[in-house]
Amino acid sequence: MSSTQGKSDPLSSCGGPDHRIHRRMFLQGLAASAASTTFSWSGLFNSEAFADEVSKKQKHCILLWLCGGPSQFETWDPKPGRPTSGPFGSIPTVIPGVHVSELMPQSAKILDKLAVVRSMKTDPTEHFQAIDRLTRGVKTRQPFVRPALGSVLARELGQLENPIPNFILLDPCPEGNEFKAFKRGNWAGWLGAEYGPVRLGGQYRLEDIDRLVDLNSEDQEEREALRKFLSRKYENDRSSKAASSHNAIYERVKGLMSCADLFDLNKLPKKDLERYGPGTFGQHTLLARNLVENGAPFVMVANGMPWDCHVFNHEIYQMLVPDLDNIIYQLTTDLEERGLLEDTLVVVMGEFGRTPWLNSSRGRDHYPNAWSLAMTGAGIKPGVVVGATDEDGYGVTDRKVGSENLFATIFKALDLDPYKKYEVNDLPTFHLVEEKVEPIHEILS
Amino acid sequence: MLKKVDSKPSNPFKNQPAKILKTLRLPTGTLSVDVSEDGKNLFAACIDGGIYRVGPGKDELTKIGQHDRYASGVASINNGKNLVSAGYDGRVRWHESSQQKELINNKAHSFWSWQLAVNEKAGFVASSGGQYLCGGYKYEPKASKEPTVMLFELDSGRLAHALSHIPPVQSVTFSQDGQFVAAGNLMGEVRVWETRTGKLLSKIETPNFTGWGIIKGHYYTGGVFSLFFSPDNEDLYLAGMGTTRDPAAGNGRQLWQRFKWNQAKPQKVDETHSGESGSGLMETITLHPSGKYFVMGGRIAKGKWNVAFFDTKTGSIIHSISTRTRVTEAVFSKDGSRLYLSAAVTQPRPKDGKINPWGRIHVYEVPKVFRAF
Repeated sequence: MSSTQGKSDPLSSCGGPDHRIHRRMFLQGLAASAASTTFSWSGLFNSEAFADEVSKKQKHCILLWLCGGPSQFETWDPKPGRPTSGPFGSIPTVIPGVHVSELMPQSAKILDKLAVVRSMKTDPTEHFQAIDRLTRGVKTRQPFVRPALGSVLARELGQLENPIPNFILLDPCPEGNEFKAFKRGNWAGWLGAEYGPVRLGGQYRLEDIDRLVDLNSEDQEEREALRKFLSRKYENDRSSKAASSHNAIYERVKGLMSCADLFDLNKLPKKDLERYGPGTFGQHTLLARNLVENGAPFVMVANGMPWDCHVFNHEIYQMLVPDLDNIIYQLTTDLEERGLLEDTLVVVMGEFGRTPWLNSSRGRDHYPNAWSLAMTGAGIKPGVVVGATDEDGYGVTDRKVGSENLFATIFKALDLDPYKKYEVNDLPTFHLVEEKVEPIHEILS
Repeated sequence: MLKKVDSKPSNPFKNQPAKILKTLRLPTGTLSVDVSEDGKNLFAACIDGGIYRVGPGKDELTKIGQHDRYASGVASINNGKNLVSAGYDGRVRWHESSQQKELINNKAHSFWSWQLAVNEKAGFVASSGGQYLCGGYKYEPKASKEPTVMLFELDSGRLAHALSHIPPVQSVTFSQDGQFVAAGNLMGEVRVWETRTGKLLSKIETPNFTGWGIIKGHYYTGGVFSLFFSPDNEDLYLAGMGTTRDPAAGNGRQLWQRFKWNQAKPQKVDETHSGESGSGLMETITLHPSGKYFVMGGRIAKGKWNVAFFDTKTGSIIHSISTRTRVTEAVFSKDGSRLYLSAAVTQPRPKDGKINPWGRIHVYEVPKVFRAF
């Protein structure tokens, strides 16, 4: 077994017993996904010509997941001079008449490349329910577990031939209260194990995937062929979903063994490491760009739930927002410079916003009534600001947008039919987005 | 935990518990308070950026000055004839209070002025500033491009010294004789300089006031929020919140520490005694004019008090109160008979287009404990 840890490795700098790991946790993540129902479509890409064609057109998506719920006042929808404004001012952007928080000077310079929605209105007020809604898009219909965005896109955009996992969750923070609980749950829903996330980042390392030193490659291939034959036979003879899920996991690990370098920040040029900033979120966003550039269809970048600032809101946001601002700027321009922006959708959002009022602990609390998010890249019309809130940010005054509208927009931007039916055995008919809810047409190119 | 001192001096609060005289209401959260030498005028710095004279009538407010962001500090000089204020606009302003006239407006920092300190005897004004920006993989604070502790001459407003410290520098204070100035930051580092020369004399490093997020997010919160020198300049008292796994929850221990700062290796000699605190951020710590006890205040997350009085000799708690507000600064009247606490409650939602006042100044009667000093 080997490790990529070293003194110069930024990923190893966290240190301490809480920050070691973790073949076991890594495999636990895979096993959790395996617990869900499997849906097999492995025959789809048997044709090489078909696979090549899909590869050429492949769209990608990076979700910068601002878990905890970022404040709209300190990002996209400042209210300067109002009682709700907080201690930060606003600055003009390249779009005349549009201001953002003074903490976002870099994004202000490229707002003509972004689309901002200032009129999100959703229901859940607590993290777990809100994370569930904003990662799945649509209220779930019990007892059926709707797959998360990453699982859907893994199915719709992914390729089985691709050794890179189709749904990668980069989340260097192992904890995260409700997000931690959510991460342990069933992401892929009825789609099954192969559409669940592979979680990496921080202490979630690609460890223990090297071939054993006393095993040559021929022996390994033979062993793998035998394992595959026996387990497929078992799966076919008994229609075993568990065996199918385990097979999916073996395929994943095998794929990961062949592309481990793509997950190694130390293999990336120093200038790239520097431009994204030294923090974990920036470094893992760079990793996301690298993975997308090498074929990953969906990468979700999180960092615990740092945006949940019931206490010290302004003291923490003075650091978090400039960090995010730089990341948005660097990711957008980096993708553009590499010719990837046109085919890569970037979504920057959390599960809700923050209250207009300050609590007695110098923080802002959860607020789903009026909040903001941003998008750029594939299928998105740049330089558009949609919707508005009242002068103090208490409510949406123009163009209310719900999670279903948002997900319809994401699917449409990626050239997917938002109302496509899920035809899965033994399940009622589901659609990517139910009830033909409209996308946000104004920001679709 | 450090060993307790056994001697039990008389407790001035035994026969005279702190008694609330009144609570004044201000339009927005109040971040700082000061009282004129004769005790007749009260001044406040508020979240709306306003610098106010409070009173003498009930709910009577006179705006003396205005910052472009939150006003973070106010200090009375010349018995309230003049004021110095600081704000999150990074500026330090001098005011003439009866005419509500701004006399001097100095840019001290590109980011916030977190705290203001004035020493009339020495003739200096200090402002601490600096922004917390990501400087490393674990979100260690990035070094500042500019000095973060600025010293101005009180009379002229002229810059005397621009001193370096790792931002954000959340607290600053002078020794009573004005000989020294000390400032504390997010990472629990306190630097002490000689006021006259700006020479760095000492560094205290204590990790106990800073939390690194394990649970919610990987970043630092907390820090040294307030500090004072003992009258003999031997000790420095620091206040803030004990370390916590979830610093964003604000539930670290209510913490003060006392250091012998002026020795080769500064040494912690006492801290909040075991069993005498709950949890919550402590934003202010100050010495009673008698020198016999000090008070620490802030917010309560869990426990019984958010303002407590400690015996200076033993470090033991001798009295406590709960104001049910977030206390931001504590100031004693010169004769030691009154304690003024600036504070805030949750910002109310508007009702019929109006937002009810959410700033507070609590006025308490406390034992004077006369002593030559």
